[in-house]
Amino acid sequence: MLPGPGSGSATLLAGSAASVFALDIAAHTGPWRGRHPAEKALLALGLLVCAVALPTWPGALLSGGAAAVLLAVARVPLVVVLRAARVPLLFVVTSTIPLLASMPAPLRLAIDPAGLPVAAQTAGRSVAALTCLLLFTATTPLSEVLPRLHRLGIPPAVTEVAALTYRMLFLLVESVRAVRQAQAARLGFRTWRSAYRSLAGQAGAVFVRALHRARRLEEGLAVRGYTGSLAVQVGAHRVSVPFVAATTALLGVIVMVSTGWVSPW
Amino acid sequence: MHIAEGYLPPEQAAAWFVVSAPFVVHGSRALVRQVRADPESKLLLGAAGAFTFALSALKIPSVTGSSSHPTGTGLGAVLFRPPVMSVLGGIVLLFQALLLAHGGLSTLGANVFSMAIVGPWVAFGSYTMVRRAGGGMDPAVFAAAALGSLATYGVTVAQLALAFPDPTAGIVGALAKFGGIFAVTQIPLAISEGLLTVLVVRLLSRTSGDELRRLGLLRPAAEVRA
Repeated sequence: MLPGPGSGSATLLAGSAASVFALDIAAHTGPWRGRHPAEKALLALGLLVCAVALPTWPGALLSGGAAAVLLAVARVPLVVVLRAARVPLLFVVTSTIPLLASMPAPLRLAIDPAGLPVAAQTAGRSVAALTCLLLFTATTPLSEVLPRLHRLGIPPAVTEVAALTYRMLFLLVESVRAVRQAQAARLGFRTWRSAYRSLAGQAGAVFVRALHRARRLEEGLAVRGYTGSLAVQVGAHRVSVPFVAATTALLGVIVMVSTGWVSPW
Repeated sequence: MHIAEGYLPPEQAAAWFVVSAPFVVHGSRALVRQVRADPESKLLLGAAGAFTFALSALKIPSVTGSSSHPTGTGLGAVLFRPPVMSVLGGIVLLFQALLLAHGGLSTLGANVFSMAIVGPWVAFGSYTMVRRAGGGMDPAVFAAAALGSLATYGVTVAQLALAFPDPTAGIVGALAKFGGIFAVTQIPLAISEGLLTVLVVRLLSRTSGDELRRLGLLRPAAEVRA
């Protein structure tokens, strides 16, 4: 007999909005909160580019290793990092399995020893790049990145829609959680039929709440003389010259060692 | 199904950015025009983006006892149209990368192409075809959500096969390998998403008829045919 959806109700109840946004919370509460987002982007995204673009061994190893050390320096809780890494790592493991097999004839699979270096290289590059991404996301609040995106040439209308999406999604994800909890308390996930009905209820509730929220915002802004511009105050941070210099030096060393300009031995 | 950060070789990751760019630029221009003509629509678009993100917080139970989340591309494309979804989908994928570490920045171009471009266009095309053929709302919405999700899965498998062709059977062999390993979860998920989306649209038709009419979803089949 197949397990009923009710067996997963514990998992359904477990994910609170706080755990969903654990990386953003870590970024807002961490000691690097006051640093300029451009500094952290240079460091983490520079390491990310090194991890992806340089020869995997030792490029990814050095970049990923540096990012892992910096996650500890930035005092990002290990549990937050490991929880966030679960889903992408599951993808990496699953999609690396086909690299270890070859198809000598139609519908026939055979273990391919030659696939091991490709699999190790791909998985290594991905894990290193993921560590660099986590360094950026766990130290840089998205609310500080979005208002600066127009400097990259993105139309202000698009960045403002993104900022509005960001502001509303916390409420909506919290709504999903609250509705799910109420449904679970009323045995809403006991059978397959009731589970699907409950899920439709969650999506419907979120849709209605999103539109109501948009309408209330529209009314609130209209009475304040809304002209189409949604200016928000962005925290003023000064770019630290020593931080940028140290980042440039680190990236330079990784590039030189990875491309063979300088031997570490 | 998001391709994880750094999984694609750098040249392929860059190529998918180039492929996705025209669609996202076209969608952005449409969005800018819409916002210029009606500044208040910015709020509705923000709500639509947040709704699409929140859909990924829904947990669809699977036959293995674990759970998975819907892509939301089918419902999004039917409600908000594919050009807008290419931008909203791009924003949602960026947020999923930066808030949840699902997908990534280097693989954003590839993920945008599968989930914010091909998925929504296939979903919208399926919905329109079923409606034009005289089909009811339920089969049209099911086709949109299930085929949109399957198209997303198919494109992701193709992206992986192009990046890692089989040493003996080439790209076709790689398609079979990657397709086979992900089919276990993605095909049941596509069917589940189709069924769930039908229930959601039925519920919204009862509770939010005015909003669906404003978004152009609730129309008699005869009008769609015309």
